[in-house]
Amino acid sequence: MAAEPAHKFLESNPFVDVATHLFLEDIADKQGASGLNNYLMSLATNLAKSMPEEEYDTWDEFLDALKEGNSILTAFEDVFMPTKNCVVTRRSPFERGWQEYVKRVGSFSRIHEEVAEYYNSAVKPTAINSLHIIHQTFRAAAADRIAVGGKRVKYAQIATVWTDGQKKIVPDEWLPVLLEKAGISRTQLNMLLRNNADVWLLYTE
Amino acid sequence: MLDVALVSLIQDMSEKAGVDGTIQYWQRVGENLARRIGKEAYMGWPSFNVALREGRTGYSIEGDVIPLTDLAITDVDGDVVGYIYALKQCVFVPTILRVRYSVGELPRADRAVAEEYNNSVHDIAVCNFCVIHEKFREEVAKNITIAGQQLESLLLATRGFTGETKISERNLKKLGINPEHVRSLLRNYECVYAIMMKGVKLKEA
Repeated sequence: MAAEPAHKFLESNPFVDVATHLFLEDIADKQGASGLNNYLMSLATNLAKSMPEEEYDTWDEFLDALKEGNSILTAFEDVFMPTKNCVVTRRSPFERGWQEYVKRVGSFSRIHEEVAEYYNSAVKPTAINSLHIIHQTFRAAAADRIAVGGKRVKYAQIATVWTDGQKKIVPDEWLPVLLEKAGISRTQLNMLLRNNADVWLLYTE
Repeated sequence: MLDVALVSLIQDMSEKAGVDGTIQYWQRVGENLARRIGKEAYMGWPSFNVALREGRTGYSIEGDVIPLTDLAITDVDGDVVGYIYALKQCVFVPTILRVRYSVGELPRADRAVAEEYNNSVHDIAVCNFCVIHEKFREEVAKNITIAGQQLESLLLATRGFTGETKISERNLKKLGINPEHVRSLLRNYECVYAIMMKGVKLKEA
């Protein structure tokens, strides 16, 4: 079995995580939900662009890199793949930061949900809070930096579950198409949502 | 992931707002975080030091803060008015390693921000995060009282990821501490600071 990437052994310091949340709240104070949304999306895109591009000969080779955390797409999260196109994140990489925030500072500022509402109406309806905007934008930008068999990888979010149990599933009209591409049924999706953080889709056209 | 995203924006922020703009921004983040953590009061130094060891004070967000109770700070009458405290690991080091193993390298702005801070504010920074951290500690101290007296925090020495050390001549002079005492602490600790009662009259160096 391949060794786990070095950074996966390391947890960030709570101070850095909590300070970053407050930094984002400071931006929202000045620029409102739409300004913060733009900031988060640009932050996530810049992060993906700062990471090296990837190319794989086959989808199976790409899947191995994903599972082992060697792809930029899974640099920050542990995933498993119930099918060749469906990816499941076990724990949100933002969970610990949120827990530290509520422990040290208090209830999560409402702005983190307000910006997600803005994102859901202006971009796509898949976020529960600000952290999902970063995560999902990062995944889309990172997927765009990966080629498998010469084709760009595409990403779509299917469902999101936050640490407190809140769920966000894509609208009913999108769901059948995404589930078919992912190769899972609606019942299987619900099973996955019980104790995981995200269900998403990777494919090429 | 949030911490790595934060690092990716330092370069962008420094290009747009300038290195001095980033410093101002970071100082505000440190100030906001301290303010949000709230007020604390202790009967005396023993109860404060126990609270610190047990992770119950505002400073505990930094991780394991070690009170060096053999290094008391005394006033002109010989009364204990503070202690030296230390962190085994800088709060930013896990993030530096996470950036190293996910993105590849830290942005150049990290060093530029630290250097500008050293030139214009306090010659003590070994990375850009020292800017947030020093401000945070100063502001947290204002929210804590021991035996009814407000505290102040003085950053004394730092050791960076690459081994670079910084010792604050300004603050050591104020406390009447020999720099060599602090230098030896840096063999075992990465960040050394003093917490003491504000406004006390210390012995001359």
